[in-house]
Amino acid sequence: MHNKPLRRWIPFLLITGLLAGGPSLSGSPAFAADPAPQAAAQDANAFTGKITGKSNKAKTISIEVKGKNEFLKFDDKTKGMDHAVEGEAAIVKFELRGADRFATSVEPKLAALPAGVTEMKVDELAKLIAMGPEEGKYVLVDSRPAARYHEGHIPTAISLPDTVHAETGDAYLPADARLKKTTLIFYCGGFT
Amino acid sequence: MSPKSAGLAKKMGHTDVRVMLAGIPGWKKAGKSVTASEKFVQTGNIVLVDLRSKEEYEAGHIPKAHNIPLASLAAKEDDIPIKAPVVVYADSFVEAQQGYNLMKKWGVKTGSIWPGGVTSWTDKGNKLATGPTPASISWVRKLGKNEVGLAEFKKAMDDGANQLILDVRTTDEVKDGVLKNSKHIPLDEIEKRVGELPKGKEMLIHCSTGARAEMAKAALDKAGLKSRVLIADVECEQGKCEITD
Repeated sequence: MHNKPLRRWIPFLLITGLLAGGPSLSGSPAFAADPAPQAAAQDANAFTGKITGKSNKAKTISIEVKGKNEFLKFDDKTKGMDHAVEGEAAIVKFELRGADRFATSVEPKLAALPAGVTEMKVDELAKLIAMGPEEGKYVLVDSRPAARYHEGHIPTAISLPDTVHAETGDAYLPADARLKKTTLIFYCGGFT
Repeated sequence: MSPKSAGLAKKMGHTDVRVMLAGIPGWKKAGKSVTASEKFVQTGNIVLVDLRSKEEYEAGHIPKAHNIPLASLAAKEDDIPIKAPVVVYADSFVEAQQGYNLMKKWGVKTGSIWPGGVTSWTDKGNKLATGPTPASISWVRKLGKNEVGLAEFKKAMDDGANQLILDVRTTDEVKDGVLKNSKHIPLDEIEKRVGELPKGKEMLIHCSTGARAEMAKAALDKAGLKSRVLIADVECEQGKCEITD
């Protein structure tokens, strides 16, 4: 909104600093001594986990891998930064540049579907919603926590958080769905 | 999450079970709008916008709503706080969607539509309010549970007895100025240098927006240190820093 000239310089200064082996990188041997990257390196230079943050200013993303926050740098060449969304599961491939881990690509980690369950794409769902639950013979279920449902859900969805569903089974589904007369469609906060 | 629930439904004997894997992000990315719940419109800390004409609005509107007729919305970009959850309604879904799309373009983060306008509102047993629209839109963000307010943060800049300000910006940014009573550790060094922080004090973490502060908080949590983050713009130039909400 209010872009002071100073702000535009920061990324430049930062990258220059990195290329020149700036002050923050002087302790590069510390990286080799740090056990974490080795532990995570079982899959050669890739982290799989939940994105816990992204800073465009520091060109850094953080991802939680086995309960530990790992930091990676990124730049304009990093592919798939659209998928670096806080709270979403992702696979981040990276390379080492000096002491820094540089993300080369970010891909969403696709959830495996249980046997007999198939994916529904946005277009197919939009067509059903245009018909409405009765004519379209469907029940759309928002599996996210209730607070997320309240602030914005897909039209015609009902709220049934996965945690509640796990305890109550069919109890909160509409009658037609309990009688197994409808298509049951679940969604949540993305590729998790 | 949704695949887990789908698995459960399958086990309960449902035969036709699907998962929309793209979820809410995929839905929004496809240019589609989301719906606010009745409870959210009633009690949420929202900005509610009635896109109908002045006459229709004054005759009866959803309580708390501000009136911005759709035709004049384009000129009102500066009136809408983009950090606020903004809920819009109109007579038709198409009009509501137009308002929603425009605000989305402005950068409103959590926009949504109340479908059906005043009709569906009263159908559910809710009352309407009458009269002219409030003079201006005012919205105050409620603090998140890990967040420190600006007033308290500024107090800690003057009195560091129990709190210490932790600056996690880069070394280059810090050259343009730092805040009083603050210690600087760049975000990417936090984990290695967490031992330098005093155990008995609460850390109030800041960067230039709040994004990095939140990442640093995760590291401090793991080290067992008490902390909160400042979600605000911190801009420094020639040794002077300005903080804006």
